[in-house]
Amino acid sequence: MANSNLPRRIIKETQRLLSEPAPGISASPSEDNMRYFNVMILGPTQSPYEGGVFKLELFLPEEYPMAAPKVRFLTKIYHPNIDKLGRICLDILKDKWSPALQIRTVLLSIQALLSAPNPDDPLSENIAKHWKSNEAEAVETAKEWTRLYAIGA
Amino acid sequence: MESEDDMHDANDIDSLDDDFYSGETEDAPLDYYSDYDDEADDYFEDADRIESRRPEQNFTILKESDIKQRQEEDVTRVATVLSISRIFASILLRYYNWSVSRVHDAWFADEEQVRKTVGLLEKPIVQLDNNTKELTCGICFENYPRARIEMASCGHPYCISCWEGYISTSISDGPGCLMLRCPDPTCGAAVGQDMISLLKSDEDKQKYARYLLRSYIEDNKKSKWCPAPGCEYAVTFDAGSGGNYDVSCLCSYSFCWNCTEEAHRPVDCGTVAKWILKNSAESENMNWILANSKPCPKCKRPIEKNQGCMHMTCTPPCKYEFCWLCLGVWSDHGERTGGFYACNRYETAKQEGVYDDTERRREMAKNSLERYTHYYERWASNQSSRQKALADLQQMQTVHIEKLSDIQCQPESQLKFITEAWLQIIECRRVLKWTYAYGFYLPEHEHAKKQFFEYLQGEAESGLERLHQCAEKELQPFLCADEPSREFNDFRTKLAGLTSVTRNYFENLVRALENGLSDVDSNGASFSRATSSKNAAGSSKSRSGRVKGTFRTSMSSRMNDDSHWCCEHCTYANVKSATTCQMCYQQRR
Repeated sequence: MANSNLPRRIIKETQRLLSEPAPGISASPSEDNMRYFNVMILGPTQSPYEGGVFKLELFLPEEYPMAAPKVRFLTKIYHPNIDKLGRICLDILKDKWSPALQIRTVLLSIQALLSAPNPDDPLSENIAKHWKSNEAEAVETAKEWTRLYAIGA
Repeated sequence: MESEDDMHDANDIDSLDDDFYSGETEDAPLDYYSDYDDEADDYFEDADRIESRRPEQNFTILKESDIKQRQEEDVTRVATVLSISRIFASILLRYYNWSVSRVHDAWFADEEQVRKTVGLLEKPIVQLDNNTKELTCGICFENYPRARIEMASCGHPYCISCWEGYISTSISDGPGCLMLRCPDPTCGAAVGQDMISLLKSDEDKQKYARYLLRSYIEDNKKSKWCPAPGCEYAVTFDAGSGGNYDVSCLCSYSFCWNCTEEAHRPVDCGTVAKWILKNSAESENMNWILANSKPCPKCKRPIEKNQGCMHMTCTPPCKYEFCWLCLGVWSDHGERTGGFYACNRYETAKQEGVYDDTERRREMAKNSLERYTHYYERWASNQSSRQKALADLQQMQTVHIEKLSDIQCQPESQLKFITEAWLQIIECRRVLKWTYAYGFYLPEHEHAKKQFFEYLQGEAESGLERLHQCAEKELQPFLCADEPSREFNDFRTKLAGLTSVTRNYFENLVRALENGLSDVDSNGASFSRATSSKNAAGSSKSRSGRVKGTFRTSMSSRMNDDSHWCCEHCTYANVKSATTCQMCYQQRR
């Protein structure tokens, strides 16, 4: 099985993620594929996502850590940098990836993105427009979605 | 501070001897007949020759070895002047697009800032204890003995195999690998060529070297690759010297430095871009459809009427029947509207002015399309003539010259005039081709200019035909002969003379057109058509005020050499002994 020759780096990262989890973030590998992680991120306080629990999936490709992990939201979320398929627009997941980054740093960055949406570099055009034209209303929608999809689900 | 330009000058010596001809200016006597003997055998030299007749050559062709050498020299220069390593110098140069002067300026303005933005650290961020025996790689988290760990100037430790992975991933991502930084996202220290040598894969190393070489040409404002397919030469250009952007590569392709389209004198880059766009644009198709079709009144598909009566039936599934003239439904037509070939309703309506607008638009589109087609066809046919001439030249060089040399017992170096003639034909075809784009964009209302232009163009065309004819047909008998013919020397004189005359004519034509025919008064009042067709070439040329070596002066300068006289009728340069012109058989006056 592929898991048998898992690089030491992945094993170490996994161990550390489990033993010293970052606040508000949990990540645990799937039982049948050690490269596939089930992730949960708590909506940061003072953000429209506060109180929500967001599920994500994270996959470490064969080239990892030379290539970035693949991460996607599974929980629906109203955010200008996340599209309706849950794909995330984040530089370190694309051209700014460096092998010196880790699963932990990636997840922390995603958490930070929830606190600070960036409508100037949008993935979802409509949401970004909404955000820029009427931020208060957009934030309300985000809160609404959080209530609908991320709380008690 | 020294500029790059000095640098380039210093390198010119080795690359090419294209300065060889640069002493020759337009005003110098045309020593055409005397330089047969000392011409080098390489045909490309001839290509250079043509270019070099222009006031001065402001470009240099670089082979791969030249590029490497220049790059090395630039790196050395920066390293010496700034007292930094060659590796740092190379990174700096790459960052400042290989401009030595920009590197110097930036560095001496604020060294600290430059070091920071480019990532050239003076001392490591991570200080290593010399006693450390083992280090942990920041990528794979394994521990390694010191010898298996490498770092850039910042000191962030990574094991050699992780470096390999990091660098080769970046190389396969493209030329961005030349700007590689330390894997630590907070660091930004530049990763130089020394780290590339850690790679095991030769393929990756070669790729990197390739990117580095390409970068020197592509990121440098002063150089470009020759755009000819498969050509690996680059060109550096000194933009200082005025309007002439024509560059002739060693591969024999001529192109415009400014827009990298093929060479297009006398037409400017803007016109060429417009013309090329026009040639490829859908708008011409749209024009055609507009001019030659009408939309079906029911389904709106365009219909071309190419024969028959006015009773139209649209193709299935529409099958709408209508009158072509008034586009009304056919059931309203018949005997009472004038039958199948007329339509009273249309005639009446037209008189009332109902159709005027659409009809006029259709008519205008049709005219403009015809006009365009006229110029395009001639542009394209000169293009294909030129291609043909290129092939003929090839044939001439590979087969005929040798054969001719045998038959006529002449050394091949004495047959250079044939190659010269063909090169001139090729060049003329190119110029002529572009004059059609020129003509197309000449404003309609400038009648005098247009008339004059067409006259010049006509003369150019017939002059070129004369040369082409001579080079093609009149050579044949000598190729088929069994023994040396006495007339061969006459043929030489004739062809060489024609080549020279045609070259002059075209050079003057190019200059006149580049001046925008400025000496022609656009209202045509002061312009009378060139005095007579007799010395048309001469008189039309001397009208161009800015033209330096006019036809006449170059002719007279040749006459001054006492070995030739210039026919007043056709301007052909005859040998002194001839009493009638060998070209037009007029008596010498």
